[in-house]
Amino acid sequence: MVEPLTTAVTPTPLGRPLGSQLRAQFPILAQRINGMPLVYLDNAATTQMPLAVLDAMRQFETTTRSNIHRGVHTLSQRATDAFENAREAVKRFVGASPAHELVFTSGTTEALNLVAQGLAQGLDGRAGAIGPGDEIIVSGLEHHANLVPWQQAARRSGATLRIFLPDAQGQLHADDLARLLSPRTRVFALTACANASGERPPYEALMALAQAAGAITVLDAAQAVAHSALHMDTLACDFMAFSAHKMYGPMGMGALVGRRTALERLTPLRFGGDMVQSVSYQGAVFAELPARLEGGTPNVSGAVGMAAAAGFIESLGHHAIEAHLADLRQHAVRGLQQIDGVTVLSAQTEMSSIISFVVQDVHPHDIGTLLDARGIAVRSGYHCAQPLLDYLGTGPTTRASLAIYNTHDEVEQLLGGVAHAIGVLR
Amino acid sequence: MSFDLDLYQDIVLEHKRAPRNFGPLPGATHRAEGTNPQCGDQVSVELKIAQDRIEDVRFQGQGCAICMASTSMMTEAIKGAPTDAALQLQARFRSVLTSTEVPDAAYLGKLISLAGVARYPSRIKCALLGWHALGHALQSPLSGNDKPEEPTP
Repeated sequence: MVEPLTTAVTPTPLGRPLGSQLRAQFPILAQRINGMPLVYLDNAATTQMPLAVLDAMRQFETTTRSNIHRGVHTLSQRATDAFENAREAVKRFVGASPAHELVFTSGTTEALNLVAQGLAQGLDGRAGAIGPGDEIIVSGLEHHANLVPWQQAARRSGATLRIFLPDAQGQLHADDLARLLSPRTRVFALTACANASGERPPYEALMALAQAAGAITVLDAAQAVAHSALHMDTLACDFMAFSAHKMYGPMGMGALVGRRTALERLTPLRFGGDMVQSVSYQGAVFAELPARLEGGTPNVSGAVGMAAAAGFIESLGHHAIEAHLADLRQHAVRGLQQIDGVTVLSAQTEMSSIISFVVQDVHPHDIGTLLDARGIAVRSGYHCAQPLLDYLGTGPTTRASLAIYNTHDEVEQLLGGVAHAIGVLR
Repeated sequence: MSFDLDLYQDIVLEHKRAPRNFGPLPGATHRAEGTNPQCGDQVSVELKIAQDRIEDVRFQGQGCAICMASTSMMTEAIKGAPTDAALQLQARFRSVLTSTEVPDAAYLGKLISLAGVARYPSRIKCALLGWHALGHALQSPLSGNDKPEEPTP
């Protein structure tokens, strides 16, 4: 395992080292917004970075920065080592085995596009791994980033897109998936936690069902990776995508981890330097994984920061993080449900850091602006999941989302702010 | 003035709770819709224009308080006005919200209550949604087939 970072806090005898005891490690939190202390509850959009991550990136940029691979000089070798060590650290973080490989991307969106387009199109104009007559199943809970690439993949390849819809409460059921699966199913794509509703589907069982039916399984782990342990070696998962900036790491950085045999089926999307073995004027022989899918100079300090973020999460422990977030979410959900006219989506879901709610006769944008007046940052709207919110009939929602540095006091401020906003607007 | 009052003045909230000229417009000659895909707000504006004058206007749809109040006040301001005056008001209100024109209370009337939106860049599109629909509606005459049927007397 990754060695605990020296900057990580030591658990106190009284309990978990989360919440207020962590705040000093996140300098951005110590500021006022509109004259009030910042209450940052937009973590499903982006989490903040601790000093441990900032320091690791600064260390790289000030001592090691150089272009990786192919260089024979010392700095280039050190930068290459930093990049490859980061890859190994992030692989360990998600339980990758030797049968897996990890490709760095700019984020979850690029990772999912790499899978969808990489399966839909072949090299040199040949057909891809999915084609006419094949079926792609995508859950109805998905972020646009795990839906629109599959719409395009289906259209390009001649495959059919099928939507695995949730029930009226936004929950997915295995028997509904079983009815959709067939020998024609080539791909099953699912989220580990719905970013718009906070629903945590039983993704382990659903992916096992799809894989048993012969589907390639794709997991969007963007909203789970910051708190829940993900074990590629035990999941029935061919591809998993996630972003660094939703796990206390840098923006513009992410990863696609997958079974090597699955990754080898992907057609590269970025052709150019670093992803080739040999090139003539007429053609090219492509490199092995992971370079094959990482054309161009990568975001090396981003990879270093992502690995530091993984180490930071490991130093706190997944169980402690989950317990802290579950406590906070329960506090928020119960409090919101006591306010007249408030409906919380997926109120009963297990392990989620997202609280998405609607208020009768009050628009989420107005709530968002009135909360901002009190220094409380939430998100309002469709959260890039318009089909789900239209299907559930809720329309746009207000979404508060939690992280390790949030406290029960902040949840109380959210509840007070929502009650105040409703009082103003009704 | 507190933040809440700055943006959510009583008159704004009152128009949100009871929007004026709300509903379908029988006999409309022009119609257009404005949508904001980020938040799902959607407003359609219908006009009855004769001899370059807006004889009647109504709007339908859903949106935040700022959007609904702005569109409601817009319908009050342009009802009975010549189309070129409505276009001029649209242009000047937009300039106020984008901070390229100092708000003139005498000219804007009730709409002055929305001038504070200029300080909230993420909400300017909310206040302008109905006005965008108006601009499109003025250029979107309904053909004979599209025209809603006149209610039978």
